[in-house]
Amino acid sequence: MRTYEVFLKRAGKEEFRHAGALDAPDDDMARLLARESYVRRGEGSLMWLVARANIVEGDSDFLEPNFDKPHRHNDGSNIAARRKRQRSAASADTEPSA
Amino acid sequence: MLRSWKDLDHFQEFIDSGGIVEPGDDMPDEYRSEVFRFIEFHANSELMGGLTERDWIPKTPGLRLKQIFLAKTQDEIGHAHLLYMVAADMGVKSRNQMIEELFAGKSRFHNVFHYQAVTWADQVAIAFLVDAAAFASQRAVFAQCTYGPYKRVLKRIVAEEGFHLRHGEDMLMSLAEGSPIQHQMFQEALERWWWPAVQLFGPDSDPADPLLKWKIKSERNEVLRMAYIQKFVPLLQGYGFKIPDDELRYDEASKKWLTSEIDWEPLKATMRNGGPDSRRRIANASANWSETRWVRDALDAAADNQSKNAAADGLARSAGTAA
Repeated sequence: MRTYEVFLKRAGKEEFRHAGALDAPDDDMARLLARESYVRRGEGSLMWLVARANIVEGDSDFLEPNFDKPHRHNDGSNIAARRKRQRSAASADTEPSA
Repeated sequence: MLRSWKDLDHFQEFIDSGGIVEPGDDMPDEYRSEVFRFIEFHANSELMGGLTERDWIPKTPGLRLKQIFLAKTQDEIGHAHLLYMVAADMGVKSRNQMIEELFAGKSRFHNVFHYQAVTWADQVAIAFLVDAAAFASQRAVFAQCTYGPYKRVLKRIVAEEGFHLRHGEDMLMSLAEGSPIQHQMFQEALERWWWPAVQLFGPDSDPADPLLKWKIKSERNEVLRMAYIQKFVPLLQGYGFKIPDDELRYDEASKKWLTSEIDWEPLKATMRNGGPDSRRRIANASANWSETRWVRDALDAAADNQSKNAAADGLARSAGTAA
């Protein structure tokens, strides 16, 4: 018996989402069981079944090196500060002189 | 292992800050065993409830109601499937072990499935009153539920129970507005099922209940029970039925319906599998498990064949490469 993970996608733009798991002897039976227990009332218009044994996993330790890499981000604050300076300089120029 | 916690205090901090536990996590043993027990109880209840409903399919009046009951039975057995899957993934007991213990009378399941449904009106009372009580308690679990896989399957279970409840009130309405005999039939069923439904919520919660602390339960038993009573007393009275409680009264000061003191002995008896119909129910379920053995054997055989074929296929392919 193999364990399969069930993913469903609703019609439209939404992405595939994990719905649950089931045990089945083969792919055909897994498809049938998944339809009868996870998609009883149109919960998805597309389905992916993935044998759990085939999932390649990356755990937190593996992902951790990328948690803190500030140089991969840019919040645009330097540019925003320059634009702000320019705006206030421009408005100072056009202010009517006393 | 995905994540681990130094001690229970750190784990509690994680829970309190909205953390969700996933199966690969190195969760504290206490959490694992309590949450497992709770999900196993829920799975057992869905299975026993589904089998009860199945018993009534041949006796359900009319084709439309028969179709509804067939679909409901499929839903309930499906819920048991999903929940046993989630429970088994916790690594405490295998699914077979859970099923075998249930049928050997060693496990617990909801009190309401330890009673006999005598007439069709009992079935309606179960479909409405009892399902509503179970629904209220499941929704309260879904509201927080810190165990991720359980929360995800609860989402669909709660959605489907919502359909069941609407079917239940439809059926209640036809009895309430039907002939005097139908009305009387439901009144009698109400007398059998009112107290078991109220008792389903359990006695007042222990303030130290770990399931509250770990946010599996989001609300105390007595709060859910009280809310249920406030909703169902006026609703049933509105349909012209009498609640079987001579001391039932409306308290003007608190604006609440108050019942007589609840006797918890019947609930405790069901938790020992010593309810009025426990023995027959468990024997029936167990017989059903033996009768359907051929299906499991056929699936296992298919799975064996599949892996043998895959192995043979692999051999043939590697032989092909060598040649």
